[in-house]
Amino acid sequence: MTLFLNLITIVMYFYFGKLNPDITVFGIPSTYLEFCFLGLSLQMIMGTSLATVNGGIYSEILSGTWSYLLYQFNFVEYSIGSTLAGVFLSSLSVFAALFLAYFLMGSFYVISIQKVMLVIILFLLLIVAHMSISMIFASFTIYYQKDSGLISLIYQLMKTFTGIVFPISLLKGFPLVLSRALPLTYGLETLHSIVLTDHYNWQLIATNCSILVIASLIIGTIAMFLASKSIKHSKKHNKVDWY
Amino acid sequence: MAIKEINKVMEKFEYSELSTKFLLGFKATFYRNIKIIWQYKFTLLLGFVNTFAVASLFFYIGNLVPNQTISQDGYIVSSITYIFAGSMLVDISTRILTQSMNSFTSEMKQGTFETLATQPFGLKKYFVSEITFEVIYRMIFSLIYYIPVLLIFPVFRGLTLNFLSILSFMVVIICIILFFFSLSLLAANVTILVKRGREISMVIIGIMHLLSGSLFPLSLFPEWLRIIAYFSPMTLAVQSFRLCLFGQGTLADGMVWGSVVMLIIMSIIFLLLFNLTYKKIYSKIRSKGTLHEY
Repeated sequence: MTLFLNLITIVMYFYFGKLNPDITVFGIPSTYLEFCFLGLSLQMIMGTSLATVNGGIYSEILSGTWSYLLYQFNFVEYSIGSTLAGVFLSSLSVFAALFLAYFLMGSFYVISIQKVMLVIILFLLLIVAHMSISMIFASFTIYYQKDSGLISLIYQLMKTFTGIVFPISLLKGFPLVLSRALPLTYGLETLHSIVLTDHYNWQLIATNCSILVIASLIIGTIAMFLASKSIKHSKKHNKVDWY
Repeated sequence: MAIKEINKVMEKFEYSELSTKFLLGFKATFYRNIKIIWQYKFTLLLGFVNTFAVASLFFYIGNLVPNQTISQDGYIVSSITYIFAGSMLVDISTRILTQSMNSFTSEMKQGTFETLATQPFGLKKYFVSEITFEVIYRMIFSLIYYIPVLLIFPVFRGLTLNFLSILSFMVVIICIILFFFSLSLLAANVTILVKRGREISMVIIGIMHLLSGSLFPLSLFPEWLRIIAYFSPMTLAVQSFRLCLFGQGTLADGMVWGSVVMLIIMSIIFLLLFNLTYKKIYSKIRSKGTLHEY
């Protein structure tokens, strides 16, 4: 089902690309299709990373299995395990969609081993950053026993303001500030720099990766603090098995 | 023998003199849903930001089109306005269908669906009242959410509309609502059988969104895909919606009346299908004992 939906999204932007939007005027050395394929793939994978922990815990609370889960695992173990499983499955569907798109639409990238290694490192950094954000909202879910809906909102902001289907140089004012507050913007900028150009901009790669590492550390620490407080609160008030 | 017993039970619930009247049941469903929505009032506020983000995406994509104009069906319009109109219609329709599916999925997840199914009110009446509520609620809130967005992005400013095109536009809108009401009803019916409402609605919407030409003119499709696209009621709805807005289209235009007729016919077919499949699906889940499963 996810594979099918991913394919539909890619096909839709494939036909939009036939309107010939000129991306080179924004300093991006590629066709629109190559540009948005990268963005859509990253969005699909990072969307899973963002939604998994919070969605999983809300589901456990709804199904009444949260108390049992808490007895078996700790919060960090659960977060890492469920995120990696989710990302692995969504990556499979994204790669399958890209593979099909390659045959149907003829878009492709020439990627060296060095580029693959850089992309893997970038993926890991982005997964940690998005997992940490999800953990923060999961702690609210544990505390209030309700899904706030904030993850869906962040996902929509991510889809719009991180430069997935249009270059962020189009943004001005508050949308640009919002864009710079989202980790995916840095990830996507780096990914474009690695995959779409032959000469690496090492300064950009190093700066963006450092931002992602620092952001992950800060968000991760806050997430763990909030989660431990929420779990303590629900244990103290005997609400672990509530809904 | 077992099936006969199930049918007897169902008839008892549906035709019993003790059964609550439809209007009373609808009122009860209405109050219950209002109470649930009020518990999630924070989510209601988030809707404004979410709609702003969705609309911004259309706005910036529209900026990418060369010369920022698109011509179709005899009218030329700004690409931003063109994409905005089509995508806004698809966005609102998506919300209606997804909300309707989510409400049933949520009942099943929480284990309250079984109780609702065995109420003297009758499951069928509950289906109709629940979907009616969700369609009305989503319509009203989508319109409220789009008011500030349209003030921030004044994409529809300067449009020249005459009385007939406004009238035709309203008829198209009513037909779209009727279509999504009947589609939601049928999809909800399938949801109780396969238990995956959200996924079903996402696939339906995904296909309709792609074929509707909300982001680009249908002339970009190859011939075979364009023919398929015109079999989707949403495609005709989006095209006639734009024609009334930008090309002063009226019900006299083939595209507009064609879409109205198509939407009405599809709505009737879906309502009939719901009526035909409802009892069978209900019997099946009861005889299989999967009513309480998720």
